[in-house]
Amino acid sequence: MSFFGFERSNLEQEKKKFSEGGLQETEDLAVYTWGEESYDGLGDALLEGGDELNDETFGGTGAVGKDFDFTSQTLPTPVGTTRGRFTPTAEPFRERTPVVERTEPASKPRDRGLSPAPKSLESIWDDKSPFSMLSRAAGHQRVPSNLMKSPFPPSRSPALNAYADHRPLSQQQPISHGINQTGVRTLQEIEAEMRAAQQKRKQQEEILLQVQLQQELQREEELRRQEEFRVQELERQDLQRLQQENLLADRMRARLEQEQQLRLQQQARMSTPRVVSHLAPSPRFNQQHQHQQQILLLQQEQERQQQERLKELQERLRMEELERQLRAQQLSQLQQQQPNLLARRQSPYADTQRRTHSPVIDSQYALFNQQNTQYMPQSIQLQQRLLSEMAQVEFMRDMQGISQAEQEALRVEAMRKIMETERMEERRRRKAAKIAHMSRYNDLMTQSDKDFITRIQVSQLVTQDPYAEDFYAQVYGAILRSRLGLQSQDERVIKFGSSGGVGLGLAQKGSGRRQSAMQKMEAQVERIVNNARLREKEKGLHSLHSLQGALGKTSGRSYKAAPRQLLQVDASSATISGTHPHISKEDGNGAAQEAAKLGREALGQAAGSDGVVRKDPLTQRQTLVVLEGLYDLVLNIEQLRRDQPLEEDEEDEEAFVSWSATYNDLVEQIWMNLKVMLPLETSDPHPFVSLLTPVKGKKILPRLSRHIAPPRMLTLLTLLVACFSQLDVVKHAALLDSLEETPERQDVERQTQAFLGSVLQSILPVVAKAELRVITGLLGLLLDRTNIVISAQTRPGIAMLTLFLSRVEIVKQGMSSAQESSEIPTPAEAQQWQTMFDHLFQLLMSHFVLLFPSTRLIAQPLPVAAPLPPTDILDQPVWQFLAALALHASSDQQSILVTSLREKVLDIVTSVNKGWVADEEERQTKLSNVNLFLHALGLDSSQISV
Amino acid sequence: MLIFSVFKTLTDQRVTVELKNDLSITGVLKSVDQFLNIRLDSISVLDEARHPHMMAVKNCFIRGSVVRYVQLPAEHVDTQLLEDATRREVAAQGKR
Repeated sequence: MSFFGFERSNLEQEKKKFSEGGLQETEDLAVYTWGEESYDGLGDALLEGGDELNDETFGGTGAVGKDFDFTSQTLPTPVGTTRGRFTPTAEPFRERTPVVERTEPASKPRDRGLSPAPKSLESIWDDKSPFSMLSRAAGHQRVPSNLMKSPFPPSRSPALNAYADHRPLSQQQPISHGINQTGVRTLQEIEAEMRAAQQKRKQQEEILLQVQLQQELQREEELRRQEEFRVQELERQDLQRLQQENLLADRMRARLEQEQQLRLQQQARMSTPRVVSHLAPSPRFNQQHQHQQQILLLQQEQERQQQERLKELQERLRMEELERQLRAQQLSQLQQQQPNLLARRQSPYADTQRRTHSPVIDSQYALFNQQNTQYMPQSIQLQQRLLSEMAQVEFMRDMQGISQAEQEALRVEAMRKIMETERMEERRRRKAAKIAHMSRYNDLMTQSDKDFITRIQVSQLVTQDPYAEDFYAQVYGAILRSRLGLQSQDERVIKFGSSGGVGLGLAQKGSGRRQSAMQKMEAQVERIVNNARLREKEKGLHSLHSLQGALGKTSGRSYKAAPRQLLQVDASSATISGTHPHISKEDGNGAAQEAAKLGREALGQAAGSDGVVRKDPLTQRQTLVVLEGLYDLVLNIEQLRRDQPLEEDEEDEEAFVSWSATYNDLVEQIWMNLKVMLPLETSDPHPFVSLLTPVKGKKILPRLSRHIAPPRMLTLLTLLVACFSQLDVVKHAALLDSLEETPERQDVERQTQAFLGSVLQSILPVVAKAELRVITGLLGLLLDRTNIVISAQTRPGIAMLTLFLSRVEIVKQGMSSAQESSEIPTPAEAQQWQTMFDHLFQLLMSHFVLLFPSTRLIAQPLPVAAPLPPTDILDQPVWQFLAALALHASSDQQSILVTSLREKVLDIVTSVNKGWVADEEERQTKLSNVNLFLHALGLDSSQISV
Repeated sequence: MLIFSVFKTLTDQRVTVELKNDLSITGVLKSVDQFLNIRLDSISVLDEARHPHMMAVKNCFIRGSVVRYVQLPAEHVDTQLLEDATRREVAAQGKR
């Protein structure tokens, strides 16, 4: 017969192809034909109609030949037929295939509108097992019969249509395509087509084969387990204690069993009535299946508890056993009664009543019935627990003879409890699922992976001078700590011996966890670095270099990341000829001029009277260069201070000597660079004053003054006073009296703030220790060299004068209390001071009102009715100064003061009393200003009546 | 390493990171490494309407190379110290 031949050749072809591995080359072809381009849509047309002719085509309801037996699957009772055909033995493993098979015909979407079944199932037909070969042979036998009917287009031949539709093999589809398209054809053609179809099908199968195989394997395993499980179940029914033990074992495989049970139930229902017929699929089943995986951990926990509980139960049962000798009989009875178990389960208590069993055993029966029927192992655990509790109660009740109704109520209560517990279980599962989802990527990297990364990173952070590399963070942290008043602990640097270390940045004032993490990290880093060093010694320089840049390159110099400069000027040549030429030229000019002057002096013309070499004032650039040099020196000296060796340490005596030598050298350099010792007449402004002009010049002074000895600071102060009018903040102070908001004004404001904040702060300690005659001298110098009226109208001037006056006041107080004889100034000195003060008063006498910025502001030509800025704050230093002045003034001088300021004071007091003030704050400021002055005179603003 | 050092002092401060794709993210600086990779917490994005996909994001890790600017809180930067640090770095490079 031709189809037998075909079958054989086809098999050989398959084998050949398989052995050649030719299957893979066509794997990329479409697997599913409908819904894709290769599908011509005829499959849908096949359904069009004519189904009513099926009977006619198949010869009515008459017997159909064996070849057509498979079509019976599409008949109204396909399940029963299938079962009858395939599962007469009902062996678990055998049962599998029919189940899969059954789904196959249903998979055709054209058929009865059923959902498409997984194509993967088809591969079962291609299974090489003898079992599946049988069905495949049946499939192929159909081919010739199909061919015989081929002349009829299937769309018009419902018989063939139905026939083709219901063939379980996917190969039928391409074949029917061919039939549809060509009508009558030769056997060769059709055979060729079938071969092609076979190939195509095999491609599909091949793709699915791997998945299939896995599934098959899994299924087989499951089935095996299932069998075990069932055996165990039977045993359980035989022996309760044994069953309990088995339950424990089963729970270990809870997940797999769950799936098994579903299938078992289905199969059992449809094919094997012998097997636990009372099995009923629970709706909860699927739900539980979904959560199963996620709660495995929880289950293990439960299991342990359950185990203990079961042990208790066992114990009790054993006791029971002793009492009830009939137990064995009952067990065997039970097996016979099995079909009734379900019914009994529904009313276990009635049952209990009827029978004479031990209540515990009875409840156990109910329990196990439930286990066997609707519940999953996990919920069984719960229910078992609950039911056993219930059983206990029931037992007690039983002993006391409680009515059925009460027991029923109890039962309801127990059920409610069960439901509640299940709900809680559900919630816990969801939570566990969430956690499981979030921890998907946990431990993706092993600890050694992480260590490796850390090692590379840390090895790049290790530097020769951790303090310098991490300078900003280190110093910032130190400043922050000192500001917070914290005792600075160890430096935030991990040091490794003499060379290298890692800067840790700010100490985190965080939790203990963080601290310990830091310590751990420190330890680890130290270990890593030491290891690296050891390895380096072993291998030379290879190991570390191999890791260098492994994680990317750090730009050690941040400017590297800056955009490329448009002008690429060679730096080395630039320094010589490019950027500095004008300086060198100027220097040259200066030198020439100096030479000329020297020449003139030598010629006796004596241009600079006392041999002073006059120079041009420092240019802006020269100033900045000098300042940068000073900054470098300061940074060096500050670093040196940090590295100061202990003086007491005898071993370090030498080190200390050398250290102090270096230190002194640096201080000397700073002093020289400050250019304080240059004669006053060197230039105007004096080089030192030039250095103070930029903000950074003003700001460096406090840092320098820390290292400069007091006598030198006094010299510096003297120079400052002598050149007071040369200072930019004094020269440009008039700008502050304008109301116009200009960049220049803002700059002067900024400079003034910097001067008051930095320069005056650094000379404050000098003045505070100065003797009376020094102050007298300084005041004399100030009066002598500057226009004091102008200077006093500047904020630095007022501040300076106030500083002097308050120091003298303190000296006077010290004089009266007479603490130390050495500090008491001689009467001559006091006299000198008085003269100088009188002189100052004389000079300022007619300008007192003008000292106030507010007065000067009002005097300005106002452009529009521009609102006056709050002047009270600006006036405050002036009121302070005047108060200091009043303290020193004689009564005559005081009356002059009062007379000249009378109007100002009255103005303020009036405005305050009449409420011409914006708010309470302004009122307070005004009043305190006035009182500052009036208190010095022994008066108060409240005494003034307007 | 200067910028690294500066950023180390700014941990737990709110900074605004402007990325090269014009996204501006403000958040608490949690950590920074030598590549200037930045980890931000409790972030908010400038112009949320334009970047709705960022609305649900609460923290992020920013690769250093995609950062254009970082806006620092002025009160937590010591400019004078920063100047000094710059000088030191230049001096250190001069020595090399």
